[in-house]
Amino acid sequence: MTKNEENKINSYLSFKLGEETFAANVGKVLNILEMVKITKVPKAPAYMKGVINLRGTVLPLVDTRVKFGMSETEYTANTCILVLDIDMDNDTVQVGALVDSVQEVLELNDKEILPPPSIGSKYKSEFIEGMARSNDQFIMILNMDMIFSTDELAMLRDTTSEQEEQLAEESEEAEK
Amino acid sequence: MENFKAKFVEEATEHINDLESALLLLEKNSTDKALIERVFRAMHSLKGGGAMFGFEKISEFTHHLETVYDLVRNEEMEISENMLNLTLAAVDHLKLLLNEDISESEETEQQHYKLIEDITKLISEKESKSDNNENLPESAIEKTGNQPIKTYFIHFEPSEEIFNNGTNPLYLLDELNSLGESVAIPHLNKIPELNKLNPQKCYTYWEVFLATSEDINTITDVFIFVEEECTLEIQHLSDHNLLKNDAFVAKTREIRKSGKDIGITELQNFIKTISTNTRQLQKKQTNSKTTSKAKENAISSIRVSSDKLDHLMNLVSELVTTQARLSLFAEEEGNPELVMIAENVQKLSRQLRDNAFSIVLIPIENMLTRFQRLVRDLSSELKKEVTFITEGAETELDKTIIENLADPLMHILRNSLDHGIEKASEREKHGKPRQGKIVLKAFYSGASVHIKISDDGAGIDTDRLREKAIHKGLISADIQLSKKELLDLIFIPGFSTTEKITDVSGRGVGMDVVRRKISDIRGEVEVDSTIGAGTTITIKLPLTLSIIDGLLVRITDTHYVIPLSAVDKIFAVEHNKLVNTFNNLVILEEEQVPFYYLREEFGLPENTAETEQVVVVRYEEKRIGLTVDEVVGEYQAVLKPLGKYYKEQEIISGATILGDGTIALVLDTNKAIKQFSKQNIITEEITND
Repeated sequence: MTKNEENKINSYLSFKLGEETFAANVGKVLNILEMVKITKVPKAPAYMKGVINLRGTVLPLVDTRVKFGMSETEYTANTCILVLDIDMDNDTVQVGALVDSVQEVLELNDKEILPPPSIGSKYKSEFIEGMARSNDQFIMILNMDMIFSTDELAMLRDTTSEQEEQLAEESEEAEK
Repeated sequence: MENFKAKFVEEATEHINDLESALLLLEKNSTDKALIERVFRAMHSLKGGGAMFGFEKISEFTHHLETVYDLVRNEEMEISENMLNLTLAAVDHLKLLLNEDISESEETEQQHYKLIEDITKLISEKESKSDNNENLPESAIEKTGNQPIKTYFIHFEPSEEIFNNGTNPLYLLDELNSLGESVAIPHLNKIPELNKLNPQKCYTYWEVFLATSEDINTITDVFIFVEEECTLEIQHLSDHNLLKNDAFVAKTREIRKSGKDIGITELQNFIKTISTNTRQLQKKQTNSKTTSKAKENAISSIRVSSDKLDHLMNLVSELVTTQARLSLFAEEEGNPELVMIAENVQKLSRQLRDNAFSIVLIPIENMLTRFQRLVRDLSSELKKEVTFITEGAETELDKTIIENLADPLMHILRNSLDHGIEKASEREKHGKPRQGKIVLKAFYSGASVHIKISDDGAGIDTDRLREKAIHKGLISADIQLSKKELLDLIFIPGFSTTEKITDVSGRGVGMDVVRRKISDIRGEVEVDSTIGAGTTITIKLPLTLSIIDGLLVRITDTHYVIPLSAVDKIFAVEHNKLVNTFNNLVILEEEQVPFYYLREEFGLPENTAETEQVVVVRYEEKRIGLTVDEVVGEYQAVLKPLGKYYKEQEIISGATILGDGTIALVLDTNKAIKQFSKQNIITEEITND
């Protein structure tokens, strides 16, 4: 691939949550860690998994699946922690995000990234930067800053979605 | 150059602060010579530095101020309230001028010229009273009253290295010229041939005739910064302005042409012939007195950037963590030699920690000047008579705490002045002295520092608080509250008791912000008040923010640290005594102690072990038990923040990393108990005897 003004190439790290594949700009990912011991923080929201020791600093850990309205992460050999740099209130904070597995680094041309679908998606459009196709499957490119700087839990629920009811139930459960 | 500028700004800020505090003291004791000298010195340093680093406005501005205080110093003018007000306003303006972005703005510019105008007015007022000297040359703008113009001879020979300090000798000559009328004769005879000339060295020296009404001290002051880098001789030539004398001027031209050094004896003889009024030349004078004193002060401390200190503190914290790990490893290994080494390292790192902590502790005195100023300005604005007394100004606190403490304290003081202290007439009616009193008292109490702000004002009317809270729907009308609980209402967001919103305080964003800011630095605020007698607000603060002594405990597989300062006693209690109570009371040492079953509070499964540990902690005036699975032992916890993601979790104030690398959570017992008690409404009165 050649690099020129019109076709800017960006690298994205793809990862899986359940059966769906997502991707984040590699610039946001500082590190990929294997599972370590998690210290739970009492009375925290369900998506806040706890804290881990990242080389002497205390790193908060988010269960990305719960944030996305899925069931809690079950730990497997593939479970990973993405250490992310998140812009939050004019400040950069580090956070760990639990994902089911990490796939690969994709090099995507700007042209290959399609705008997010306006209808029919079960996720709120402001959290999705775009869609891309790779190996015959759709990958959702996420805006990590938006997702991890809000404390909303059921944020990825689109009110027009048919699954609203079901998701609402799930999120209620999660909130408990 | 930028570097020098930053340094100057830093130093200038210090000078301005010094100036401010000296002025406030001067207000109380307007004849104190030492204080006037201090004011003058601060101004002079500002002026000199300002000119050197391109802050022309500051230099110009302080020059005018200096003129005023020079008059005061020479006892030609008395300190008036008007003068002090003007100077304090000028000090505020100087602070603005230091900030280059602001100093360019139009508003500042206007203020600048207005103040200069005011100052010149002040000077001219004084002048109109005194006789003007006829012979004053036009170039001498700052006519300083009826002092006669004298002529001085100045021999100024800078050392060759003077450029290394960034000093331009020509500026000094300019400054001399600003004192009056002068003729400067440069001597170039020391300049070597071109091939031997080093452009970084100064070879020229000057001889200056200066006709001025200033005294010899003022002239020496010009050279205050280069004193050590030059040969300076100042001699008094005549009590008249010789530069008005044609014969003398002709003589100076002659000397200039010849390029020779002026033979001082020859000159004296010459003056004798042209002047009938010659007096014996004064001996060479230096005013080293004031400067040497300033130097003595500087040596006892050094200036270190706070970044470096923060870095040092971080390193010490890391060291303490690593040392804990080493101790753990040594113990497991069982090698006696290793254990000994580990113990030594522990001892050393403890000492290092204590030492490093004492470095970042600064006395609260540093922020008190600001408050003195605030009280002074506000009381005159509110037309109230108030004395502000500070005690324990030497009490030391972590610098980050002090930084975060200034705003809340300022707010409390504003409240005291605005709502607390009554008007003088009202105070007399109640049989109190006209003058109100606000006392700020700081003292150590165990591992914490208490700051008490008390006023002898009207006090807080709890009945009115209650009415207002009911009116605002914050409490229900039938609820019974103790006095303390009623007073605590002022900390609820949106609660403000004055009907009238004033400019000073009472915008409804009051005490709740104070409490939040104080709790951000792990402190607590309490209020106590008696109607008619006054209000006392107590702030309790930890000595430092980064390391606490704690008790390490375990609940399920998670470790917690309970601050040792809160822990009273630890008991082992049988499991069924804890679970089968319906009012959450346990009898310990024949005393009923309410307790919280932490596993239950944290939403964890019940413990199955037969005995559990109850850690009794102090909460307000009570003793409250917290159950844990196991008490591990004492632990020095290096506090790490949990970060923004856990900002809602008030009961956990931070985390710490244990020797084996796992994380323990630091429990804020006060906040935890408060939160638990809100959830479980305890109906029964807690008896505690």
